[in-house]
Amino acid sequence: MSQRAVLSIDHLSISFGGLKALDDLSFTIFDQEIFGLIGPNGAGKTTVFNCVTQFYRPDAGDVFLTVDQSRLPSRDRHLADQLGQARLNLVGRPVHSIIKLGLARTFQNVEVVKELSLLDNVLVGGHVDFQATMAEQIFRLPRARREEKVYRAKAMAALDFLGIGRLADQLAGGQPYGVLKKLEMARTLMAQPRLIILDEPAAGLNDFETEDLAQTIRAIRDQYGCAVWLVEHDMRLVMNVCERICAISFGKFLALGAPAEIQGDKLVQEAYLGEQE
Amino acid sequence: MSTSSTRTARPLSSVLKPARNAHVQFLVFGALLCLLPVLAQAGGLRNSTLSTLAFVLIYAIVALGLNLLLGYSGLISLGTAGFVGLGAYLAAYFQDDLRLGFWLALLAALVLPTLIGLLVGVVSLRVRSIYLAIASLCISEILLKTFEQLEWFTRGTAGKQSKYPVVFGLQTDRATMFVIIVIALVVVMMVTHNTVHGQLGRALHTMRSSEVAAQAMGVNVLKYKLFAFSLATLYAGLGGALYLFFLRSSYPSTWNLFMSLNIIAMVVVGGLRSIFGTVAGAFVIFAVPELVLKKLPVIGDVAGLPYIFSGVLIVVVIMFFPAGLKGLADLVRRPFQRLRGDRGEAGPPAARPPDSDRPSPPGAGRAAADQTAVKEGRPA
Ligand SMILES: Nc1ncnc2c1ncn2[C@@H]1O[C@H](COP(=O)(O)OP(=O)(O)OP(=O)(O)O)[C@@H](O)[C@H]1O
Ligand SMILES: [Mg+2]
Repeated sequence: MSQRAVLSIDHLSISFGGLKALDDLSFTIFDQEIFGLIGPNGAGKTTVFNCVTQFYRPDAGDVFLTVDQSRLPSRDRHLADQLGQARLNLVGRPVHSIIKLGLARTFQNVEVVKELSLLDNVLVGGHVDFQATMAEQIFRLPRARREEKVYRAKAMAALDFLGIGRLADQLAGGQPYGVLKKLEMARTLMAQPRLIILDEPAAGLNDFETEDLAQTIRAIRDQYGCAVWLVEHDMRLVMNVCERICAISFGKFLALGAPAEIQGDKLVQEAYLGEQE
Repeated sequence: MSTSSTRTARPLSSVLKPARNAHVQFLVFGALLCLLPVLAQAGGLRNSTLSTLAFVLIYAIVALGLNLLLGYSGLISLGTAGFVGLGAYLAAYFQDDLRLGFWLALLAALVLPTLIGLLVGVVSLRVRSIYLAIASLCISEILLKTFEQLEWFTRGTAGKQSKYPVVFGLQTDRATMFVIIVIALVVVMMVTHNTVHGQLGRALHTMRSSEVAAQAMGVNVLKYKLFAFSLATLYAGLGGALYLFFLRSSYPSTWNLFMSLNIIAMVVVGGLRSIFGTVAGAFVIFAVPELVLKKLPVIGDVAGLPYIFSGVLIVVVIMFFPAGLKGLADLVRRPFQRLRGDRGEAGPPAARPPDSDRPSPPGAGRAAADQTAVKEGRPA
């Protein structure tokens, strides 16, 4: 595992009214790492995701993403180092510009289009890759047709990769929860991200599906060569699959380390004990 | 049975070429409609009925635009009528006052309302879609007042008179205008189909279903809202121009809120997100009161009959058939599909593109071959 940072969170803070949801939080995720973020309910885990992906604008702090040359927006191209990569601050960028930089996410409450087929849902993940203009699409000119074909094959590959290829033609509405979770993951893969963010991927899954999920997460990392950052309450999954874990509570940093270190950490144990009482 | 082979082929074509099949259907539909003026000339169809059907097709064009907004993008506009009226007056002004001919008049009726629509969108789409409803209603009312007051442009309440256009040197009449309307409708159906199926359509779908998901997937929501709104306005302008060329007159009172609501009724009754459904909805909402209800004893004399009819129909559809006529058609079709032996429906292999030579067992470990293609866009 290389130790190059793919994402650095730097003194991130955000408040909602009087509530400090994130309080001076910092940590770094490395390239091709499987990273876990844990904490009791309401600790601020989803809020971190939202601050990183710019759904929320943090009150203070920065979020740096390492971006490949091919994905650099033209006005940031001068920032590239000798490897052609650049660390871009995400704070302040439009929400819809984030995925293009190589950062794709899923949602805690699955957000898919019920009225579209699984395949079409995955294709949404490739939205920013389409080059054909609106006019080319409206008149179905050759480039639009060609692209559609290429990306359909690619979306099919992503569905197959997650083992739900045989459902490609079916509508997302009415599919079991486990399928929808995989569908969301397939959609992120479509963007060929450098970092995938998964918000509670195991929520609502049974033991068998959770076991399958652990393998899937590793396979995603190995096959797609990206880092995976997950928030998860299922400790068995987190301890099993994550290489490093960060624990937070009430928006504050508690500990960061290998699974065994986190399990043995006093502060972390207290935070979770407090929750159970 | 030949049908069974086409049925198993369907999922393949729906994966790779969803367009071709639909476009053929639109063309056949258009060709059949073109028989109507011939039928009318042979005395098999009353001229007044032909006119009513022409208006159905014009309203269908406008309603397809609203379906893009309401059905696909989840945006509501209450101002359709104003933009249709603007298209009508612009067509008349450019053709009859400026004498610039059919094509320039048509172009003006397409472009200018779209530009105004774009402006309204830029102002109102940034916030929540309810503001679009309010803003569009206001604009429509302003346009209506303008139509009444701006005499040099509209002749005010006296009404603007026009004549059948000359197209390619040919003086049109009722029958040829009908054919032109059919051609316009078929083009609009195709454009709508293309729009809602590719990347554009998926972006609109996602935006309606979950704005956060759309943004996370890189959809610039404002841009796509504006796109949907401008295309809908363009259709409205087109409908207005065709209305004027066919009826050869326009009065301000036509372009009121009732027409906007009727267009919404067409979309809802026909079925959100259905192209043929919208056309059927236009027929039910506009032609049924004209051709059937008004001729009934007693009921036919009730004042405001079309208002009552649309209102009742909307309520019935929303309460009992939320999928509209489209849903009803699916319901009727389903037992027949079952009769024909429906093997293809859930057959896993059918979902694959035909050119795939991938091994079938799903699983994480075997995907290396697939991924080479996927990964090559990203330098290591
Ligand atoms: N948009 C918001 N407005 C107001 N308060 C918010 C908002 N988003 C989050 N919060 C608050 O911030 C705190 C952290 O919420 P967050 O959703 O990040 O927790 P979480 O760690 O993801 O919890 P869970 O494990 O239950 O998903 C909570 O107290 C929550 O109520
Ligand atoms: Mg959460």
